[in-house]
Amino acid sequence: MSTTRREFIRVMAAGSGALVLGVRFCRAGRFPTEDFRPNAWVRIEPDGTAVIQLGKTEMGQGVQTSLPMILAEELDADYTTVRVEQASPGPDFLELGTGGSTSVMTTWEPLRHAGAAARAMLVAAAAERWEVSPDSCRTSQGAVEHPSTGRRFGYGELVADAARQSVPESPPTEDRSRNTIVGTARKRRNAADIVRGRAIYGIDVRQPGMLYAVVARSPAFGGEVVSFDDTRAKQVRGVREVVRITRGVAVVAEHTAAAIKGRDALRIEWKDGPGASFDSDTHRVTLEQATETPGVTIRKDGEGRAAMKRAAQTLEAVYHYPFVAHASVEPVNCTVLVEDDRCEVWSPTQTPNTVQRVAMAVLQLPDTAVRVNVQLLGGGFGRRLNYDFDWEAIEVAKAMKGTPVQTVWTREDDLRFGHFQAASTHRLIAGLDTANRLVAFEHRKATTPHNIYRPPTPEQTADPDTVRGWAWGVYDSPYAFPAAEMTYAAVDAPTPIGPWRAVFSPSSVFARECFIDELAQTCDRDPVELRLDMLGANDASIPSTFEIGEDLVERQRMRRVVETVAREARWSDPAPAGRAKGFACNVFHTGTYVAYAVEVSLRQGQPLSKLPFTVHRVVCAVDCGLVINPAGVRQQVESGVIWALSNLKSEITFHAGRARQSNYSDFPVAVMDETPLEVETHIVGAEAAAPNGLGEPTVCPFTPAVVNALSRLAGKRIRSLPVRAADVSSR
Amino acid sequence: MSSTEIIVNGVHHLVDADDDTPLLWVIRDILGLTGTKYGCGEGSCGACTVLEADEPVRSCQTNLSEAAGLSYTTIEGFAEKPGADACQSAWVEEEVSQCGYCQAGFLLEVWALLGRKPEPTDDLVEKTLNDHICRCGTYPRIRRAIRRAASSRGGK
Repeated sequence: MSTTRREFIRVMAAGSGALVLGVRFCRAGRFPTEDFRPNAWVRIEPDGTAVIQLGKTEMGQGVQTSLPMILAEELDADYTTVRVEQASPGPDFLELGTGGSTSVMTTWEPLRHAGAAARAMLVAAAAERWEVSPDSCRTSQGAVEHPSTGRRFGYGELVADAARQSVPESPPTEDRSRNTIVGTARKRRNAADIVRGRAIYGIDVRQPGMLYAVVARSPAFGGEVVSFDDTRAKQVRGVREVVRITRGVAVVAEHTAAAIKGRDALRIEWKDGPGASFDSDTHRVTLEQATETPGVTIRKDGEGRAAMKRAAQTLEAVYHYPFVAHASVEPVNCTVLVEDDRCEVWSPTQTPNTVQRVAMAVLQLPDTAVRVNVQLLGGGFGRRLNYDFDWEAIEVAKAMKGTPVQTVWTREDDLRFGHFQAASTHRLIAGLDTANRLVAFEHRKATTPHNIYRPPTPEQTADPDTVRGWAWGVYDSPYAFPAAEMTYAAVDAPTPIGPWRAVFSPSSVFARECFIDELAQTCDRDPVELRLDMLGANDASIPSTFEIGEDLVERQRMRRVVETVAREARWSDPAPAGRAKGFACNVFHTGTYVAYAVEVSLRQGQPLSKLPFTVHRVVCAVDCGLVINPAGVRQQVESGVIWALSNLKSEITFHAGRARQSNYSDFPVAVMDETPLEVETHIVGAEAAAPNGLGEPTVCPFTPAVVNALSRLAGKRIRSLPVRAADVSSR
Repeated sequence: MSSTEIIVNGVHHLVDADDDTPLLWVIRDILGLTGTKYGCGEGSCGACTVLEADEPVRSCQTNLSEAAGLSYTTIEGFAEKPGADACQSAWVEEEVSQCGYCQAGFLLEVWALLGRKPEPTDDLVEKTLNDHICRCGTYPRIRRAIRRAASSRGGK
């Protein structure tokens, strides 16, 4: 990396009494070329505490724990005195989004350099006062010491002088072998608050005189209000106002219960829009048809699909993945106060800049007049990268000028009117020669691209580079093929489609990893051995790395997690009676490698709302690069496993433009007796130079690992989610 | 209009709201105690669990009229219950929480379980907690925290 530190660290606010460094972070290895504009700040206060001010929302993934660890290590600060302060959008904070499992990987380099720079500047300030050489000083836990004379200054005593030092071009960074914080297990910062009911989430925001609102929306996608009668709603005790907003009619009341009761009493005549005929069964047929011919080519190895002509036989399978919702237990909500010339928003958002822009547009205010306070999230999972709930709340508050209003989505609202993970269909084709060797491979995906921000244009859906960015898990398949072609076809749907945990990957990895298992069965190969072959374990002519799009895929890292899981799970031993083993692996978009081996048995007589199987054992190996907090890694593996189990049991279906599901009773998520007693996690590759992300990558390969085991138990291939009892009824 | 008396964390309140107002919203929006969470409104997620005397109840399924005159403990008042600390400490030690939103409901339910059955079997733990939902997937750690809390309570 040729970039120098000065390109992303500056001394800011000199003379403020604190040492303030402006920091610019961006995706690892990609540095901005424009003028320096920081998007994070490191501030060392006169009392010696260190504050990282940046826009990374805490949603359970642990950023408020891991980021202070990085800074504290290089600053040589007392870790307990370093904290994260959530930034609000403004001229200093132009990019505050939290998503894509990128928080640690994008802030790691700038934060450690900021820590090292600040430490060097503090040392220089102390050396100046003592009139000694900086080399004769050392730092220890938030202080500079001069060992030969026994003198010592706490960092706080030095900040004003340190702020006058110049940022060193290349300050020494800590010798990694001497790390005392990075790589050690640390507990979540807010754990004690959580168990005492003191953690304040978005829905817990309370402002003086605040009211509560819920919104009645068109039951079918895209419908509009023709007329409404609010006479009865206004008679509900506690209802204060009924207001018309773009998406429907809001009832504003003294408490949420009155708002809901008032909404139930509204009489609204709706006019259906074009989405009112949408049906997910019909859509599934459309998706399948869209895979009958190849879509836009996003990867071509060798001759591509032309090589299929040489195949003596082909294996072809069609996989279906349903629409799914996020169903985070805290439903979306947003509290807004609109006054004549300003607006304040309290939102559990993953995208505060967007929220600010929406408020500016709705209220015709400049950015300086809109303050967005980012709140703790009761689960993010991509749902809060959407701004639909903020937009509604801003419109409601605009109609209630001078009064803070919290607009809450009920669970029913959340499952019917939020955005979804798109349904998709995958057609996979393997061409084999007479000796059952793979000669050609195709993966065709058909799905609906994200449409909640700005629906893609026909030019975009035809452009391979654009489309590739939507096809994680397809184009970046880690396997080497003699010839292969991966394609993507965009299919419209009126349903709101947007980010979900692991974004574009889950369906693609499910289809791909199940099909590799089918291929192994067809070729009479062990599925782990076949994968290792395709990863180059036994063929030196297969490159150990390759680049595709913006990604670098490192096959040797993939092999290592595969081998680790196979060894730790004793893959080659037969499964105990009544159980089957399943395996799957993936490299996630962030360069994170995950493999699972599972042991599963069928569970008879379960109600429809329960998984028809039991997962007895889960062995995971994960290579997420350098590990900041191993405790966080283990939590994210457990979390990914259980998230994926929910993915195996629930779906959202649509009829007449309406979601059929409305609450946890008909969108059942995994509960305790469906989840494994333990998840065995093996961390590999932690000696790497830099971290990759982990909030999402652990989700993807778990689903196919389980389905591969279930297919063995059922004696037939399972190619559709969710998995129902009938799908696994024995042969 | 008449008002209804309820006791929450030892404090008497007179509440002016319809009889059918769910206790959940009385606690959160009228009394301002936000530690009790909304998750589903149908009694299927457990996030709104509070203790009525020592019994866990779903505050979203309890109407104000049913709550009249009764005494409730929410997560904010939980520390006053004997043995609460063993549960809270176990939760911290086992690093149960991720986003943490649902955990108050689990904690109160588990405290009541350990009161009835100081050493619950895995089967009983599952039966008791199957109608609590955690989307972050903390169930394996909740199991461990229960064992830890049980042994530290037993040791007292």
